[in-house]
Amino acid sequence: MSRPRPRFLAALAVPLALTLTASAAVAQSPAPAELTQLTVGLGYIPSVQFAQFYLAHEAGYYRDAGLEVTFQNQIDPELITLVAQGAVDIGMGDGTSIVPARSQDIPVRYAATIYARFPSVVFAKASSGITGPADLAGRNLGTPGKYGSSWIMLQALLGSAGLTADDLTITLYPDFGQGVAVLTDQVDAATGFANNEPVQVALQGDEVTVLRVDDIVPLPGPGLIVGDATLETKRDALRAFVGATLRAMAEITADPQLGIDATFARVPELAADPATQRAILDATIEGWSNEHTDTFGLGAIDADAWAQAVTFLTQMPGSPVEGPVAVEDLITTDLLPAAP
Amino acid sequence: MRRDLIAILAVGTLILVAWQVVVVVGDYPPYLLPSPFDVFDRFSDPRVQATLLSHLGTTLVEVLLGLALGVSLALLTGFVLARSHLAERLLSPYIVAAQATPILALAPLIVLWFGSGLLSKVLICALICYFPMVVATTVGLRSIDPGLVELGRSLRATRRQLLTSIEIPAALPTILGGLKIATTLAVVGAVVAEWAGGSSGLGVLINLARGSLFDIPLMFATLITIAAIGVALYLVVVLLERRLVGARA
Repeated sequence: MSRPRPRFLAALAVPLALTLTASAAVAQSPAPAELTQLTVGLGYIPSVQFAQFYLAHEAGYYRDAGLEVTFQNQIDPELITLVAQGAVDIGMGDGTSIVPARSQDIPVRYAATIYARFPSVVFAKASSGITGPADLAGRNLGTPGKYGSSWIMLQALLGSAGLTADDLTITLYPDFGQGVAVLTDQVDAATGFANNEPVQVALQGDEVTVLRVDDIVPLPGPGLIVGDATLETKRDALRAFVGATLRAMAEITADPQLGIDATFARVPELAADPATQRAILDATIEGWSNEHTDTFGLGAIDADAWAQAVTFLTQMPGSPVEGPVAVEDLITTDLLPAAP
Repeated sequence: MRRDLIAILAVGTLILVAWQVVVVVGDYPPYLLPSPFDVFDRFSDPRVQATLLSHLGTTLVEVLLGLALGVSLALLTGFVLARSHLAERLLSPYIVAAQATPILALAPLIVLWFGSGLLSKVLICALICYFPMVVATTVGLRSIDPGLVELGRSLRATRRQLLTSIEIPAALPTILGGLKIATTLAVVGAVVAEWAGGSSGLGVLINLARGSLFDIPLMFATLITIAAIGVALYLVVVLLERRLVGARA
């Protein structure tokens, strides 16, 4: 018997190696047909504030979890309705919107905390002399409108100092120009988001005072929300999505540059001002954690805090809550990973 | 008149029945499509009645003041354009451009320039009803039978007498036709203006119902109230038309 020729063996080895490599690759990631489609609703416009979603998408965490994720940008009221009816599978919704929505029998609930610290704040230049809620009496405060999470936060802040909205001048900025109004001294203070307006004002060189509501009443900040029906039909996929998202949040917390890179890959326009985006991301990361999440892990839901928030929302003047709501109807922990 | 009323009520009833059927057959929850009964519940709630009345008052003031301003300026402009072909050639492109620019885009600018108080709302209402009134006034005045004017001149009528006794009465049917359109547009303008910046009014209530309270039946009740204002103002113009113009309308 003649021995096989070396050249023939070499020629055979190459396609064999390629086949083995391809098989291994296919075995690692699910075939496209096996991926579960998820439509994810994020806030009004693409932003570095959604860096964790961009990272999880760009790094393939969603795909590795068997998910094909599509992002949609919507405002909060629309997103809640879309999530409730299942047109969007999971999305970012404000915790203070879930309570009135549920009181109107809209079947949506909060599934993971993203902002453990309530991001709506009152901010002012340090030079204004405003250091606490009591200092707002008689001052001029700018806000987009007398509704929503900012207005609820303001009621809580003012209430803690024995004040109401009648004790100061409210100037409306429906075009969300209240940050510029503070910068140009048109108003003494304004409502805003901790990772937006105060950051922008500080970047202009002014020292900024931020008044938070967390120590007054633990209002639930934006988090991941799901519809009751979707929770039943796509529980495993939603759990995988939450897990991948929380993983990305942990990685960005450890290395914020990962969030910046993923955001710029997804939204190249934001790369025009990297310093501002980094400042916003740093402020965003700061909002992801509090004592509860430090103990129970990122995303953990504090049911006691929710109970306090429901009591406040139900009793506040002009309450948006129609009828009693139970905390167990507002939240679900089924999608969260086990506590560390 | 009585037969018309019965027919209108009958059509309205049919619409309500069809609405209810759609809700039942489609099994729509109230947060997607409330039934007529859900909306009626809101109307019959005393708290909602007080809220609606309060916001309605604000919107009505804006509509009436905006209408007054817009119609006054439009009558003046229409008169000038009808009298002067040169003025028409020079001003018409700008008037048309103002009309073609979406009010939804202009409203936030007007609020920015004039604040979120009553003034900006009145200006936006006036702007939205200005153009149809200008067109109606110009066409109305230009459509006058020249024979009537000649007759007046032959009877030595003064300029003022020609205007008040011949031209305005002759142009009135067309002008009032424009006013019908302007009144409904003024209601739209008030709501858009409140969306652009306001703390009260039916437009604000829509935003509150949708975005803060998630109360879609209340949103529907507000929409119906807005429509009712438009219908009521339209009917006022119809009555005015019958009184001033009679069978010529």
